[in-house]
Amino acid sequence: MDAHRIQYWVLLVLLAPPAASILAAALGPRFLRGQTHWLPILGVGAALVGSVNLFNQVRAAGEAHGSIVVELYRWIATVPDQWFSVNVLVDPLTAIMLLVVTGVALLVVVYSREYMSDHGHPVRGYERFFAYLALFVFSMCVLVLGGNFLLLYLGWEAVGLCSYLLIGFYYDRPSAAAAAKKAFLVNRIGDFGFGLAILLIYVTFQELDYQAVFAMVDAGTTASGEALTSGRVTAIALLLFCGAAGKSAQFPLYVWLPDAMEGPSPVSALIHAATMVTAGVYMVVRCGAIFAASPLAMALVATIGAFTALLAATIALVQFDMKRILAYSTISQLGYMFLGVGMYAGSAAIFHLFTHAFFKALLFLAAGSVMHAMGGVIDLRRFGGLRRVMPWTYATMLIGALSLAGIPLLSGFWSKDAIIHAAFENSRLLGWIGLLTALLTAFYTFRMVFLAFHGTTRVPDGVHAHEAGAWIKLPLVVLAVGSIFAGYADVTFLSGGFAGAFDPHGWFSHFLSSVTAPFAMHHAEFAAAGHMQKYGLLYMSSAVAIGGVILAYSLYVDSPMLGLIIRRAFPKTHQLLSNKYYVDEAYESWIVQPLRRLAAFCYAFDRYVIDGLVWLLTAVPRLAALVLRVFEQGRLQGYGTSMTIGLAAILFLILVIGG
Amino acid sequence: MIDETIQSGFNWTLTTLIFSPLMGVAMVLTLHRDDHSRIRLMALLASLTTLALAVITAFEFRSAAVQTSGNGWALYHLQGDLAWLDPDGPIDVRYHVGVDTISLWLVLLTAFLTPLAVWASFSGIRERVREYFALLLLLETAMLGVFCSMDLLLFFVFFEFTLIPLFFIIGIWGGAERRRAAAKFFIFTVAGSVLTFGGVLFVAYYVYSSAVAYGLPDAKFTMSIKDLIAAGRAGRIPADVQWWLFIAFAAGFAVKVPFFPLHTWLPLAHTEAPTAGSAILAGVLLKLGTYGFVRLCVAMLPDATYAFAPFMAVLAIVGILYGAFCAWAQTDVKKLVAYSSVSHLGFCMLGLFSLKLAGATGSIIYMLNHGLSTAALFLIVGMVYERYHTRDMDKIGGLARTMPWMAFFLIFFTLASIGLPGLNGFVGEILVLLGTAYSDQPRTSPDDLGVGPLGFAYAIPAALGIIFGAVYMLSMCQKVLFGPRREPPHTPDASTGLTPDLNGRERAILFPLAVACLLIGVYPRPLIDSLHPAISVNVFQLYYMPSSTPHGLELMVDETAAAAPSADTPAIRGNSSILPEPA
Repeated sequence: MDAHRIQYWVLLVLLAPPAASILAAALGPRFLRGQTHWLPILGVGAALVGSVNLFNQVRAAGEAHGSIVVELYRWIATVPDQWFSVNVLVDPLTAIMLLVVTGVALLVVVYSREYMSDHGHPVRGYERFFAYLALFVFSMCVLVLGGNFLLLYLGWEAVGLCSYLLIGFYYDRPSAAAAAKKAFLVNRIGDFGFGLAILLIYVTFQELDYQAVFAMVDAGTTASGEALTSGRVTAIALLLFCGAAGKSAQFPLYVWLPDAMEGPSPVSALIHAATMVTAGVYMVVRCGAIFAASPLAMALVATIGAFTALLAATIALVQFDMKRILAYSTISQLGYMFLGVGMYAGSAAIFHLFTHAFFKALLFLAAGSVMHAMGGVIDLRRFGGLRRVMPWTYATMLIGALSLAGIPLLSGFWSKDAIIHAAFENSRLLGWIGLLTALLTAFYTFRMVFLAFHGTTRVPDGVHAHEAGAWIKLPLVVLAVGSIFAGYADVTFLSGGFAGAFDPHGWFSHFLSSVTAPFAMHHAEFAAAGHMQKYGLLYMSSAVAIGGVILAYSLYVDSPMLGLIIRRAFPKTHQLLSNKYYVDEAYESWIVQPLRRLAAFCYAFDRYVIDGLVWLLTAVPRLAALVLRVFEQGRLQGYGTSMTIGLAAILFLILVIGG
Repeated sequence: MIDETIQSGFNWTLTTLIFSPLMGVAMVLTLHRDDHSRIRLMALLASLTTLALAVITAFEFRSAAVQTSGNGWALYHLQGDLAWLDPDGPIDVRYHVGVDTISLWLVLLTAFLTPLAVWASFSGIRERVREYFALLLLLETAMLGVFCSMDLLLFFVFFEFTLIPLFFIIGIWGGAERRRAAAKFFIFTVAGSVLTFGGVLFVAYYVYSSAVAYGLPDAKFTMSIKDLIAAGRAGRIPADVQWWLFIAFAAGFAVKVPFFPLHTWLPLAHTEAPTAGSAILAGVLLKLGTYGFVRLCVAMLPDATYAFAPFMAVLAIVGILYGAFCAWAQTDVKKLVAYSSVSHLGFCMLGLFSLKLAGATGSIIYMLNHGLSTAALFLIVGMVYERYHTRDMDKIGGLARTMPWMAFFLIFFTLASIGLPGLNGFVGEILVLLGTAYSDQPRTSPDDLGVGPLGFAYAIPAALGIIFGAVYMLSMCQKVLFGPRREPPHTPDASTGLTPDLNGRERAILFPLAVACLLIGVYPRPLIDSLHPAISVNVFQLYYMPSSTPHGLELMVDETAAAAPSADTPAIRGNSSILPEPA
C-alpha cells in the first residue's frame, strides 16, 4: 500500500465529517436552516468515498501487506521521545468497519432529512441534530482508525458523548435527559475498566501502540524482558472487556441501551444498532492477540455473550414498545457477536456485525417510519394492520425481520449460523443457548411484525396514517437489498455444501484472516469440523428460525386467544419478563441509593465533623479571649482596681519576700 | 556544564510584568469613583497590557532558551537579581526573579485569566467599583510575583500578599455570608502559612549553619531557592530535618491546595466570593499550593518527599473521592464546582507524588487545565446567577431552551472538566494516572526518576474518581439545562440590561477559554515538550550541576554517589553524579 495515498484518503475520512459538523453548527441556525442536511450528506458522503478507496487499497494489497500505520502528528508523551501519536492503522478490519460506519451513516442522514421534519417543516433543533450526527461519524471513524489504545479511548469517549447528546436530543422530556445521563454514566463504568486496562498495558509493555503491544504479547514478554504472566494477560483482557461490555451493552451493563431509545429513531438506527454499540466487538477482535492469549478471558467473553443473548431475547418477548423490542434484540445480537469472538470465531463475529448493521438499521428505520406516521406513538397496542397503509415500510421491514430471524438464504442466516457453529465446536451448552436464542429471536421479531402490520387496521386517534416519502423510502430500500445480499460476502457458491450449492466461509473471512490470525492460531476454526456437523447445523438453524416464525404466526395472527391463555397460565413469569427481571430497580436500590447516601454522609461529615474540629481548634483562642475579656471591660474603675491590686502585689513581693 | 549565569545584568522583563498591574491600580484610582464605565475600561486595558507583556515575556523566554547552548529549555531565564539587604552582610536576601517553563506557563495562565475575570465583573459589580478593580489588579501582581520568585523570602512575601486583596474581595463584594467566608479563608490560610514561614526560616538557617560547620569559606545565610534546593539534593539536609521541614511546608501549601481534610474553607469562600473572585481563586490561587509543593517539597526535600509520598497519595485519593461525593450531594451549583476543585486538585497532588516525569508533567498540565475549565465554570455560574439570583439547582432548570449559548458552554466545560479525550482535562488526567500506575517501574528514560513510591494499586481508586466526576457534573447539567423549564418568579432579571441568553461580552469571555481547552486537548505537544526538561532538571534535579556553592559540595555528591541509584533503586536522592551529561 502506498502510504501517501492512504494518508490522503484517511485525511478525507477524518476531516470531512467534522468540517460538516462545524459548518452545520455555525451556519445552520442563521443561514441554512431547513437545508442544513446537505452539509452532513456531503461530509459523510466524502467520508464514504474515502472509505471505499481505503477498502480498495487494502483489498488490492492482499492479505500479507494489507496493514499500514500512518502517523499524523505526535500527541502525548510520558517521557521525552516516547510519544503516543495520533496515528491510524489501516487494515482489513478497519476498512470493513469504515464502510459500515460511513455507509449506514449516509443512509441515516438522508433518512433524517424527512424524519426530522414535521409535515415538511424542520423540527426545532434540526441544525443541531445534523451537527451531532456528523460529529458522531467523525468520532466513530477515529475509533476504528486509531492506531493505539489512547486513540481508541478517545474515539470511545467521543462516540459516548455524541450518543449522550443525541439520546438527550429532546431534552425537554425528563425521560430523555435521564436516559442520556444513564447512558453516559453506565458507559463510564465500563470505561473505568478500559482506562485501567490502558494503564496496565502501559505498566506492562511501556507502549500503547497496537502493533508494538501485540507483538510483545505474541512474544510473551514484557517491556523489561521478563516473561509475561498469564495472570497479567487475563487481567488486561478482562479490564478491556469491561469497556466492551459497557459500550456494547452486555450483561451487567446493558441497562442503558433500552432507555437510549428516547433518542430520535435515526439515532437508534445508526448509533444504537449499527455502529457505536458494535465498538466493543471491534475492540475485542482488534485486541485478539491479548484475548486469545487468555483462555479464561475468552471463556468469559463467550459466556457473557451467550447469557446476554438469551436474557435480552426473553425480555424482548413481552415488550410492546417497538423500538425497545429492537433494542433488546440488538443487545441479544451483540451477545451473539461476543459469543462468536469468545469461541475463537473472530471473523464470524465481525461478519455478523456487518450483516447486523444492514438489517438492524433497516428495522429501526422502518420502525421510525411507523412512528413518524403514527404521530410519535410506538406502542404496539395502539395501532395495527398497517400493512395496507404503509406497504413500502411493511415490505422492507419484513425483509429486515426475516433476516434478523435467520430465515435461510438471507444475510442474518449466514452470519448467525457461523457463530452458532463455532459455539458448538467449543461448547455444546453455549451452542444450544445460541440455538434457543435463535428460536426466541424469530418469535419476538415476528410477534412485532404481526402486531404492527397484520390484523385489522387501527391507528391512534387523530392520526392520519400515511406512507413515508422518498427520503425515507430510499434508505429503506437500499438497506433491504443489503439485508438480503450482504450475507453472500462470506458464502462460496457451488462448492457442494448446503443444499448442494453454498458453502459458508468465503471471501469475507479470508479477507479478515490477517486480523483474526490470533484466534485461528489458538483454535483451528472449522477445518477440523466434520461435514455432517457442518451442514447438519445449517438445516437445524433453518428449522428453528422458520419454527419461530410459525409459532409467532399461530399465536398472534391465527389464534390470538392461545397467546392470552399462555400468558394467563404463567402470570409470574410474564410479570418478571415485562419488568425486565427488575434489574433497573435492583441497580437503583443496591447501587445508586447507597452511593447517594454515602454522598450525603460525606457532606454531613464535612460540615459537622471536619468543620467541628476546626471550630474546636479556634475555640482555644476564643476561650482565652473570654477569660481575658473580664479584665478588659473598658471601665476606668476596673483598670484602677487591677492597677491597685497589682501594685499591692508587687509591693508585697518586694517588702515581704525580697526583704 | 550548564549554567544560566550566561546572562549578565538585571533583566527588567519580569519585573515590568509583575508590577504592570500596579500601574493599572494607580490609573484606576485616579479616576472618579462614580465614573464606572471608565474604571472598568481602564482595569480591562491594564490587565490586557499585562497579558501582552506576558506574551512578550514568553517569546523572550523562547529566544533565550533557543540561544542557550545545551538544554536551554530547562533553565531559568530572564533573571533579574538585586540584593535586598546589604549584599556584603551576613544575610543574603535578594530580589531575585526568573522563570523556567513551569513558572512561565503559570504566569501565562494568570495573565490570561485576569482580563477575563475583570471583564466578567463588568455587570456584576455595582458598588465600590474603583476599589474592586484596584484590588483585582493588585491580586494579579501578587500572583505573578509568586510564580516568578527565585528567592524564598520574596516568594513567601508574594505568597502571603495574595491573601490581602482576596480577603477584601470576598469580604466586601461577596454573598450573604461573606464576612464569615473571608474570615475563615484568612484564618485557615494564615494558620498554615505561619508553619510554612517557620520552615522557610529554618531551612535557610539550617543550610547556612551546616555550611559553616563544614567550613565553607563564603558561607552565607542565603534564601536563594536554587541554592537551598542544591543543598537539599546534595544531602546537606538530613532526613529527619527534612521530615520536619516537609510537614512545615506542607501545612501552608496543603491548606492552599486544598488538601483533604484542610479544605473546608474552600466551598465557603468559593460560594461567597464574587464571580471573578471565585474564578481567580480556583484558577490561579489554588495552584500556589501545588506550585509550592513542586518547588519546595519535591525539589528541595527528596528524602522526605519519597517517604511521605504514599501518605500524600492516599490523602490525595481520599480527597478525589470525598470531594466528588460531597459535590454530588450539593444543590448549590457554585458549591458543587467548589467541591469538584477539591477532587481535581487531588489528581494534581497524586501525579506530583508519583515522582515520575509523566506524573509530574501531568500534574502541572492538570493545574493549567483546572485553571481554565473551573474558572470558566465559575464564570458561567456567575452569569446565570446575575439573571436568576439563585444558584439552587432545585429552583432553576430547563435553561437549554432559553439559553442555548450558555448550555453549549456549560456542556463544553463540563466535558473538559470530566476529562473527555480531545479536550484539555484528559491530557493531564491520563499523564497523572500513567505516572501513578507505573511509578514503581524502573526508569525508561535518562530524563526520568527511577522506582517511585506509588504503583498500580493507587491508580485504581483514582480512576474511580473519574466516574464520580462524570456523575456529579452530568447530574448538574441535567438539572440546570434539561427537562421542563423552572425559573424563580420575576426572572430572568433584565433590569441590569442583560439579555436572556449570554450576550456578546459574555460569549467573548468564554470563547477564548474554550479555544484554549480545545487546543491543549488536541495538540498538547508544546506544553509537554517545554515542561519535560524543566521538570527533569529543576524539580527532579537530574543533571544538576551545582554551580554557586562549589566547595565541599562535591564531596557530598561523591558520598551519595556511592549509594548510587541504579535503574531499580529509588533514584531520587543525590543522583546527579551518576547520570550522563546531556548532549
